[in-house]
Amino acid sequence: MTTDPYTTLGLTRSATSGEIKAAYRKLVRTHHPDLHPDDAGAEARFKAIAAAYDLLKDPATRARFDAGEIDAAGAERPQRQYYRDFADAPGNPYQQGRGFGPQGDPADIFAEILRQRTRGGGADFAGQGFAAGGTDLRYTLEVPFLVAARGGELPITLPDGGSIAVKIPQGAHDGQTLRLRGKGGPGSGGGPAGDALIILTVGSHPMFRREGDDIHVTLPITIDEAVLGAKVSAPTIAGPVSLTIPTGTSSGRVMRLRGRGVARSGGRPAGDQLVELRIVLPPAIDDSLRDFMTEWRETHAHNPRADLLNEAMT
Amino acid sequence: MTDQRTEDEVIAIIPGMTRTRLVAFLQAEVILPIRRKTFEGNAPVFGRIDIARMQLLCDLADGLDLDDDALGVVMSLIDQLHMARRDLRVLALAVEAEAPDVRARIGAAFRNSRR
Repeated sequence: MTTDPYTTLGLTRSATSGEIKAAYRKLVRTHHPDLHPDDAGAEARFKAIAAAYDLLKDPATRARFDAGEIDAAGAERPQRQYYRDFADAPGNPYQQGRGFGPQGDPADIFAEILRQRTRGGGADFAGQGFAAGGTDLRYTLEVPFLVAARGGELPITLPDGGSIAVKIPQGAHDGQTLRLRGKGGPGSGGGPAGDALIILTVGSHPMFRREGDDIHVTLPITIDEAVLGAKVSAPTIAGPVSLTIPTGTSSGRVMRLRGRGVARSGGRPAGDQLVELRIVLPPAIDDSLRDFMTEWRETHAHNPRADLLNEAMT
Repeated sequence: MTDQRTEDEVIAIIPGMTRTRLVAFLQAEVILPIRRKTFEGNAPVFGRIDIARMQLLCDLADGLDLDDDALGVVMSLIDQLHMARRDLRVLALAVEAEAPDVRARIGAAFRNSRR
Protein backbone atom coordinates (compact mmCIF):
# COMPACT_ATOMS: atom_id res chain seq x y z
CA MET A 1 0.00 0.00 0.00
CA THR A 2 1.53 3.27 -1.04
CA THR A 3 -1.44 5.57 -0.66
CA ASP A 4 -0.77 8.85 1.05
CA PRO A 5 -1.06 8.44 4.84
CA TYR A 6 -2.65 11.89 5.16
CA THR A 7 -5.38 10.87 2.71
CA THR A 8 -5.90 7.60 4.57
CA LEU A 9 -6.53 9.49 7.80
CA GLY A 10 -8.60 12.13 6.00
CA LEU A 11 -6.14 14.92 6.78
CA THR A 12 -4.05 17.48 4.97
CA ARG A 13 -0.30 17.92 5.34
CA SER A 14 -0.82 20.85 7.66
CA ALA A 15 -2.55 18.69 10.30
CA THR A 16 -1.29 19.09 13.86
CA SER A 17 -0.23 16.05 15.89
CA GLY A 18 -3.41 16.49 17.93
CA GLU A 19 -5.52 16.32 14.79
CA ILE A 20 -3.66 13.21 13.65
CA LYS A 21 -4.38 11.47 16.93
CA ALA A 22 -8.02 12.54 16.93
CA ALA A 23 -8.49 11.35 13.34
CA TYR A 24 -6.88 8.03 14.18
CA ARG A 25 -9.08 7.48 17.23
CA LYS A 26 -12.20 8.16 15.27
CA LEU A 27 -11.13 5.70 12.57
CA VAL A 28 -10.27 3.00 15.13
CA ARG A 29 -13.80 3.24 16.38
CA THR A 30 -15.32 2.88 12.93
CA HIS A 31 -12.88 0.49 11.26
CA HIS A 32 -11.24 -1.80 13.86
CA PRO A 33 -12.07 -5.36 12.71
CA ASP A 34 -12.72 -6.51 16.27
CA LEU A 35 -15.27 -3.79 16.80
CA HIS A 36 -16.95 -4.72 13.49
CA PRO A 37 -16.83 -8.49 13.29
CA ASP A 38 -19.19 -8.72 10.30
CA ASP A 39 -17.32 -6.22 8.15
CA ALA A 40 -15.04 -8.20 5.86
CA GLY A 41 -13.33 -5.10 4.48
CA ALA A 42 -12.48 -3.70 7.90
CA GLU A 43 -9.21 -5.59 8.17
CA ALA A 44 -7.67 -4.08 5.03
CA ARG A 45 -8.92 -0.61 5.92
CA PHE A 46 -7.69 -0.79 9.49
CA LYS A 47 -4.31 -2.05 8.35
CA ALA A 48 -3.92 1.01 6.12
CA ILE A 49 -5.11 3.28 8.91
CA ALA A 50 -2.72 1.79 11.45
CA ALA A 51 0.17 2.01 9.00
CA ALA A 52 -0.62 5.63 8.23
CA TYR A 53 -0.85 6.47 11.92
CA ASP A 54 2.40 4.64 12.71
CA LEU A 55 4.10 6.82 10.15
CA LEU A 56 2.60 10.13 11.20
CA LYS A 57 2.37 9.80 15.00
CA ASP A 58 6.11 10.11 15.44
CA PRO A 59 7.23 13.65 14.48
CA ALA A 60 10.62 12.29 13.35
CA THR A 61 9.26 9.73 10.87
CA ARG A 62 6.58 12.21 9.81
CA ALA A 63 9.27 14.78 8.98
CA ARG A 64 11.20 12.18 7.01
CA PHE A 65 8.08 11.22 5.09
CA ASP A 66 7.26 14.87 4.39
CA ALA A 67 10.81 15.37 3.14
CA GLY A 68 10.41 12.37 0.84
CA GLU A 69 13.07 10.32 2.62
CA ILE A 70 10.76 7.36 3.30
CA ASP A 71 7.65 6.31 1.44
CA ALA A 72 4.28 5.39 2.86
CA ALA A 73 5.14 1.70 2.80
CA GLY A 74 7.91 2.33 5.31
CA ALA A 75 5.58 1.67 8.19
CA GLU A 76 3.83 -1.42 6.89
CA ARG A 77 2.83 -3.60 9.80
CA PRO A 78 3.54 -7.31 9.93
CA GLN A 79 0.71 -9.76 9.39
CA ARG A 80 -1.50 -10.00 12.40
CA GLN A 81 -4.49 -12.04 13.42
CA TYR A 82 -7.53 -10.37 14.85
CA TYR A 83 -9.40 -11.55 17.89
CA ARG A 84 -12.59 -11.95 15.88
CA ASP A 85 -10.88 -14.77 13.96
CA PHE A 86 -10.68 -16.73 17.21
CA ALA A 87 -13.84 -15.62 18.93
CA ASP A 88 -15.86 -18.51 17.55
CA ALA A 89 -13.20 -21.16 18.04
CA PRO A 90 -14.41 -24.07 20.14
CA GLY A 91 -13.23 -23.75 23.71
CA ASN A 92 -12.82 -19.99 23.63
CA PRO A 93 -12.11 -19.37 27.32
CA TYR A 94 -13.51 -15.86 27.14
CA GLN A 95 -17.03 -17.01 26.42
CA GLN A 96 -18.13 -17.97 29.87
CA GLY A 97 -21.38 -18.33 31.63
CA ARG A 98 -23.25 -19.80 28.73
CA GLY A 99 -26.36 -20.80 30.52
CA PHE A 100 -27.74 -23.53 28.31
CA GLY A 101 -25.47 -26.50 28.23
CA PRO A 102 -25.79 -29.85 26.54
CA GLN A 103 -27.91 -31.19 29.37
CA GLY A 104 -31.66 -30.91 29.47
CA ASP A 105 -34.39 -31.14 26.90
CA PRO A 106 -33.47 -29.43 23.59
CA ALA A 107 -37.07 -28.25 23.28
CA ASP A 108 -36.56 -26.12 26.41
CA ILE A 109 -33.54 -24.22 25.10
CA PHE A 110 -35.59 -21.28 23.87
CA ALA A 111 -37.58 -21.02 27.07
CA GLU A 112 -34.22 -21.03 28.89
CA ILE A 113 -32.93 -18.16 26.73
CA LEU A 114 -36.04 -16.13 27.54
CA ARG A 115 -35.67 -16.86 31.25
CA GLN A 116 -32.05 -15.68 31.19
CA ARG A 117 -33.07 -12.43 29.67
CA THR A 118 -35.41 -11.60 32.53
CA ARG A 119 -32.93 -12.77 35.12
CA GLY A 120 -30.39 -10.19 34.00
CA GLY A 121 -26.63 -10.35 33.80
CA GLY A 122 -24.06 -8.28 35.62
CA ALA A 123 -21.72 -11.20 36.07
CA ASP A 124 -18.81 -9.17 34.81
CA PHE A 125 -18.92 -6.51 37.46
CA ALA A 126 -17.55 -8.54 40.32
CA GLY A 127 -17.21 -7.09 43.78
CA GLN A 128 -20.26 -4.87 43.60
CA GLY A 129 -22.61 -7.07 45.51
CA PHE A 130 -23.71 -9.10 42.53
CA ALA A 131 -23.48 -12.84 42.49
CA ALA A 132 -20.62 -13.38 40.09
CA GLY A 133 -19.57 -16.62 38.51
CA GLY A 134 -15.96 -17.69 38.94
CA THR A 135 -13.49 -17.35 36.10
CA ASP A 136 -12.55 -20.23 33.88
CA LEU A 137 -9.07 -21.59 34.43
CA ARG A 138 -7.08 -23.04 31.59
CA TYR A 139 -4.61 -25.88 31.73
CA THR A 140 -2.54 -27.78 29.24
CA LEU A 141 -2.45 -31.54 29.49
CA GLU A 142 -0.03 -33.79 27.66
CA VAL A 143 -1.91 -36.86 26.49
CA PRO A 144 0.05 -39.99 25.49
CA PHE A 145 -0.57 -41.02 21.89
CA LEU A 146 -2.47 -44.21 22.61
CA VAL A 147 -4.63 -42.66 25.33
CA ALA A 148 -5.71 -39.98 22.85
CA ALA A 149 -6.43 -42.57 20.16
CA ARG A 150 -8.29 -45.01 22.38
CA GLY A 151 -9.69 -42.75 25.07
CA GLY A 152 -8.99 -43.05 28.78
CA GLU A 153 -8.51 -41.16 31.99
CA LEU A 154 -5.64 -38.97 33.13
CA PRO A 155 -5.14 -37.26 36.49
CA ILE A 156 -4.56 -33.52 36.55
CA THR A 157 -3.34 -31.52 39.52
CA LEU A 158 -5.24 -28.33 40.29
CA PRO A 159 -3.60 -25.21 41.74
CA ASP A 160 -5.27 -25.82 45.10
CA GLY A 161 -3.44 -29.14 45.29
CA GLY A 162 -6.48 -31.22 44.51
CA SER A 163 -6.39 -33.78 41.76
CA ILE A 164 -9.13 -34.84 39.38
CA ALA A 165 -9.33 -37.53 36.76
CA VAL A 166 -9.92 -36.06 33.31
CA LYS A 167 -11.81 -38.28 30.94
CA ILE A 168 -10.09 -38.21 27.55
CA PRO A 169 -12.58 -38.96 24.78
CA GLN A 170 -11.74 -41.53 22.18
CA GLY A 171 -10.07 -39.88 19.19
CA ALA A 172 -8.98 -36.77 21.13
CA HIS A 173 -6.87 -34.54 18.92
CA ASP A 174 -4.09 -32.06 19.43
CA GLY A 175 -5.38 -28.67 20.56
CA GLN A 176 -8.78 -30.02 21.62
CA THR A 177 -10.24 -28.34 24.68
CA LEU A 178 -12.19 -30.18 27.36
CA ARG A 179 -14.45 -28.29 29.72
CA LEU A 180 -14.85 -29.45 33.30
CA ARG A 181 -17.85 -27.68 34.71
CA GLY A 182 -17.40 -26.07 38.10
CA LYS A 183 -13.69 -26.87 38.38
CA GLY A 184 -12.47 -23.32 37.73
CA GLY A 185 -12.15 -20.30 40.00
CA PRO A 186 -14.69 -19.94 42.82
CA GLY A 187 -17.65 -17.62 42.31
CA SER A 188 -18.34 -14.68 44.59
CA GLY A 189 -21.57 -13.63 46.27
CA GLY A 190 -23.04 -17.09 45.83
CA GLY A 191 -22.24 -17.27 42.12
CA PRO A 192 -21.29 -20.59 40.56
CA ALA A 193 -17.65 -21.63 40.17
CA GLY A 194 -16.05 -21.24 36.75
CA ASP A 195 -14.97 -24.12 34.58
CA ALA A 196 -11.59 -25.71 34.03
CA LEU A 197 -10.62 -25.74 30.37
CA ILE A 198 -8.10 -28.45 29.58
CA ILE A 199 -6.18 -27.96 26.35
CA LEU A 200 -4.85 -31.27 25.10
CA THR A 201 -1.49 -31.74 23.45
CA VAL A 202 -1.17 -35.20 22.01
CA GLY A 203 2.24 -36.83 22.35
CA SER A 204 3.98 -38.79 19.63
CA HIS A 205 4.49 -42.53 19.42
CA PRO A 206 7.68 -44.36 18.41
CA MET A 207 5.79 -46.53 15.94
CA PHE A 208 2.42 -45.01 15.05
CA ARG A 209 1.83 -41.71 13.31
CA ARG A 210 -1.58 -40.10 13.22
CA GLU A 211 -3.11 -38.00 10.47
CA GLY A 212 -6.64 -37.05 11.37
CA ASP A 213 -8.33 -40.32 12.18
CA ASP A 214 -5.92 -42.42 10.12
CA ILE A 215 -2.98 -44.21 11.67
CA HIS A 216 0.22 -44.70 9.70
CA VAL A 217 2.75 -47.38 10.50
CA THR A 218 5.77 -48.77 8.69
CA LEU A 219 5.99 -52.56 8.77
CA PRO A 220 9.25 -54.39 7.95
CA ILE A 221 8.90 -57.59 5.89
CA THR A 222 11.50 -60.11 4.69
CA ILE A 223 12.55 -60.71 1.09
CA ASP A 224 10.82 -64.06 0.96
CA GLU A 225 7.59 -62.56 2.32
CA ALA A 226 7.82 -59.88 -0.39
CA VAL A 227 8.42 -62.37 -3.17
CA LEU A 228 6.20 -65.24 -2.12
CA GLY A 229 3.53 -63.41 -0.16
CA ALA A 230 2.71 -64.18 3.46
CA LYS A 231 0.35 -63.72 6.33
CA VAL A 232 2.03 -61.56 8.96
CA SER A 233 1.01 -59.91 12.20
CA ALA A 234 0.71 -56.09 12.05
CA PRO A 235 0.37 -53.83 15.12
CA THR A 236 -2.68 -51.55 15.36
CA ILE A 237 -3.70 -49.20 18.15
CA ALA A 238 -6.10 -51.89 19.35
CA GLY A 239 -3.57 -54.72 19.23
CA PRO A 240 -2.03 -56.93 16.53
CA VAL A 241 -4.08 -58.03 13.53
CA SER A 242 -3.27 -60.41 10.72
CA LEU A 243 -2.26 -58.86 7.41
CA THR A 244 -1.90 -60.66 4.08
CA ILE A 245 1.07 -59.59 2.00
CA PRO A 246 0.42 -60.27 -1.68
CA THR A 247 3.03 -62.08 -3.76
CA GLY A 248 5.50 -59.74 -5.44
CA THR A 249 5.23 -56.83 -3.03
CA SER A 250 7.69 -53.96 -3.42
CA SER A 251 9.01 -51.78 -0.63
CA GLY A 252 6.80 -48.73 -0.12
CA ARG A 253 3.55 -50.49 -0.90
CA VAL A 254 0.78 -49.23 1.38
CA MET A 255 -1.90 -51.60 2.66
CA ARG A 256 -5.10 -50.14 4.02
CA LEU A 257 -6.69 -51.74 7.08
CA ARG A 258 -10.15 -50.28 6.90
CA GLY A 259 -11.66 -49.14 10.19
CA ARG A 260 -8.50 -49.93 12.18
CA GLY A 261 -7.65 -46.26 12.75
CA VAL A 262 -9.02 -43.91 15.38
CA ALA A 263 -12.68 -44.39 16.22
CA ARG A 264 -14.76 -41.46 17.39
CA SER A 265 -17.92 -41.27 19.30
CA GLY A 266 -20.83 -39.63 17.51
CA GLY A 267 -21.45 -42.09 14.72
CA ARG A 268 -18.56 -41.09 12.50
CA PRO A 269 -16.88 -44.04 10.83
CA ALA A 270 -13.50 -44.93 12.28
CA GLY A 271 -10.34 -43.97 10.40
CA ASP A 272 -8.12 -46.51 8.66
CA GLN A 273 -4.69 -47.81 9.41
CA LEU A 274 -2.24 -47.44 6.55
CA VAL A 275 0.61 -49.92 6.67
CA GLU A 276 3.63 -49.09 4.57
CA LEU A 277 5.66 -52.21 3.84
CA ARG A 278 9.42 -52.06 3.87
CA ILE A 279 11.60 -54.94 2.76
CA VAL A 280 14.35 -55.60 5.27
CA LEU A 281 17.26 -57.91 4.50
CA PRO A 282 18.45 -60.43 7.07
CA PRO A 283 21.24 -59.09 9.29
CA ALA A 284 23.78 -61.38 7.61
CA ILE A 285 23.70 -62.40 3.94
CA ASP A 286 24.57 -66.08 3.95
CA ASP A 287 26.16 -68.05 1.13
CA SER A 288 23.00 -69.60 -0.17
CA LEU A 289 21.31 -66.21 -0.60
CA ARG A 290 24.40 -64.71 -2.20
CA ASP A 291 24.80 -67.66 -4.57
CA PHE A 292 21.17 -67.56 -5.58
CA MET A 293 21.24 -63.82 -6.21
CA THR A 294 24.45 -64.01 -8.19
CA GLU A 295 22.98 -66.62 -10.44
CA TRP A 296 19.66 -64.79 -10.68
CA ARG A 297 21.34 -61.59 -11.71
CA GLU A 298 23.16 -63.30 -14.54
CA THR A 299 20.03 -64.84 -16.01
CA HIS A 300 17.38 -62.16 -15.35
CA ALA A 301 17.82 -58.71 -16.77
CA HIS A 302 15.43 -56.28 -15.01
CA ASN A 303 16.14 -52.59 -14.59
CA PRO A 304 13.47 -50.81 -12.50
CA ARG A 305 15.28 -47.49 -13.07
CA ALA A 306 15.07 -47.56 -16.86
CA ASP A 307 12.03 -45.28 -17.08
CA LEU A 308 13.33 -43.02 -14.36
CA LEU A 309 16.64 -42.40 -16.11
CA ASN A 310 14.93 -41.79 -19.44
CA GLU A 311 12.49 -39.31 -17.96
CA ALA A 312 15.22 -37.47 -16.07
CA MET A 313 16.75 -36.58 -19.43
CA THR A 314 13.61 -35.08 -20.97
CA MET B 1 1.16 -28.47 18.42
CA THR B 2 -0.63 -25.48 19.86
CA ASP B 3 1.93 -22.70 19.90
CA GLN B 4 2.24 -21.12 23.28
CA ARG B 5 4.18 -18.03 24.27
CA THR B 6 5.70 -16.93 27.53
CA GLU B 7 5.22 -13.51 29.12
CA ASP B 8 8.55 -12.26 27.74
CA GLU B 9 7.69 -13.41 24.22
CA VAL B 10 4.28 -11.75 24.40
CA ILE B 11 5.86 -8.44 25.39
CA ALA B 12 8.30 -8.74 22.50
CA ILE B 13 5.72 -9.72 19.86
CA ILE B 14 2.85 -7.34 20.48
CA PRO B 15 3.35 -3.69 19.55
CA GLY B 16 2.48 -1.47 22.49
CA MET B 17 2.67 -4.28 25.07
CA THR B 18 4.57 -3.63 28.29
CA ARG B 19 5.06 -5.68 31.44
CA THR B 20 2.96 -3.25 33.46
CA ARG B 21 0.18 -3.56 30.94
CA LEU B 22 0.35 -7.35 30.86
CA VAL B 23 0.19 -7.50 34.66
CA ALA B 24 -2.84 -5.19 34.58
CA PHE B 25 -4.59 -7.38 31.96
CA LEU B 26 -4.00 -10.49 34.08
CA GLN B 27 -5.05 -8.70 37.25
CA ALA B 28 -8.29 -7.55 35.64
CA GLU B 29 -8.80 -11.08 34.26
CA VAL B 30 -9.42 -9.76 30.75
CA ILE B 31 -6.69 -12.20 29.77
CA LEU B 32 -6.78 -15.72 31.15
CA PRO B 33 -3.38 -17.38 30.83
CA ILE B 34 -2.92 -21.09 30.37
CA ARG B 35 -1.46 -22.70 33.45
CA ARG B 36 0.94 -25.54 33.00
CA LYS B 37 -0.31 -28.83 34.27
CA THR B 38 2.64 -29.15 36.59
CA PHE B 39 3.41 -25.93 38.33
CA GLU B 40 7.05 -25.35 37.42
CA GLY B 41 7.71 -21.80 38.52
CA ASN B 42 4.03 -20.98 38.08
CA ALA B 43 4.77 -19.54 34.65
CA PRO B 44 1.66 -18.70 32.66
CA VAL B 45 1.72 -19.16 28.89
CA PHE B 46 -0.49 -17.69 26.18
CA GLY B 47 -2.04 -19.16 23.07
CA ARG B 48 -2.79 -17.55 19.72
CA ILE B 49 -6.24 -16.44 20.80
CA ASP B 50 -4.70 -14.67 23.80
CA ILE B 51 -2.13 -12.91 21.59
CA ALA B 52 -4.86 -11.65 19.26
CA ARG B 53 -6.94 -10.54 22.24
CA MET B 54 -4.01 -8.70 23.85
CA GLN B 55 -3.34 -6.97 20.56
CA LEU B 56 -6.92 -5.78 20.52
CA LEU B 57 -6.58 -4.62 24.14
CA CYS B 58 -3.43 -2.65 23.23
CA ASP B 59 -5.24 -1.13 20.24
CA LEU B 60 -8.08 -0.06 22.48
CA ALA B 61 -5.77 1.26 25.20
CA ASP B 62 -3.57 3.23 22.78
CA GLY B 63 -6.03 4.07 20.05
CA LEU B 64 -8.94 5.10 22.25
CA ASP B 65 -7.10 5.92 25.47
CA LEU B 66 -9.26 3.51 27.45
CA ASP B 67 -8.21 2.86 31.03
CA ASP B 68 -8.35 -0.55 32.69
CA ASP B 69 -11.95 -0.26 33.85
CA ALA B 70 -13.21 0.92 30.48
CA LEU B 71 -11.21 -1.85 28.79
CA GLY B 72 -12.92 -4.43 30.98
CA VAL B 73 -16.34 -3.11 30.05
CA VAL B 74 -15.56 -2.96 26.32
CA MET B 75 -14.10 -6.49 26.31
CA SER B 76 -17.07 -7.83 28.21
CA LEU B 77 -19.37 -6.27 25.61
CA ILE B 78 -17.30 -7.67 22.75
CA ASP B 79 -17.40 -11.12 24.35
CA GLN B 80 -21.14 -10.89 24.75
CA LEU B 81 -21.44 -9.79 21.15
CA HIS B 82 -19.49 -12.81 19.95
CA MET B 83 -21.58 -15.10 22.13
CA ALA B 84 -24.79 -13.65 20.73
CA ARG B 85 -23.46 -13.88 17.18
CA ARG B 86 -22.52 -17.48 17.66
CA ASP B 87 -25.91 -18.36 19.08
CA LEU B 88 -27.60 -16.56 16.21
CA ARG B 89 -25.50 -18.39 13.65
CA VAL B 90 -26.19 -21.77 15.25
CA LEU B 91 -29.89 -20.94 15.27
CA ALA B 92 -29.78 -19.79 11.64
CA LEU B 93 -28.12 -23.05 10.63
CA ALA B 94 -30.71 -25.06 12.52
CA VAL B 95 -33.57 -23.10 10.95
CA GLU B 96 -32.00 -23.42 7.51
CA ALA B 97 -32.16 -27.21 7.84
CA GLU B 98 -35.89 -27.14 8.63
CA ALA B 99 -38.81 -27.62 6.25
CA PRO B 100 -39.88 -24.61 4.11
CA ASP B 101 -43.04 -23.92 6.13
CA VAL B 102 -41.10 -23.85 9.42
CA ARG B 103 -38.53 -21.50 7.85
CA ALA B 104 -41.32 -19.26 6.59
CA ARG B 105 -43.01 -19.05 10.00
CA ILE B 106 -39.77 -18.26 11.83
CA GLY B 107 -38.76 -15.80 9.12
CA ALA B 108 -42.09 -13.99 9.42
CA ALA B 109 -41.79 -13.76 13.22
CA PHE B 110 -38.25 -12.46 12.82
CA ARG B 111 -39.23 -9.79 10.32
CA ASN B 112 -42.22 -8.67 12.40
CA SER B 113 -40.01 -8.19 15.45
CA ARG B 114 -37.80 -5.81 13.50
CA ARG B 115 -40.54 -3.46 12.43
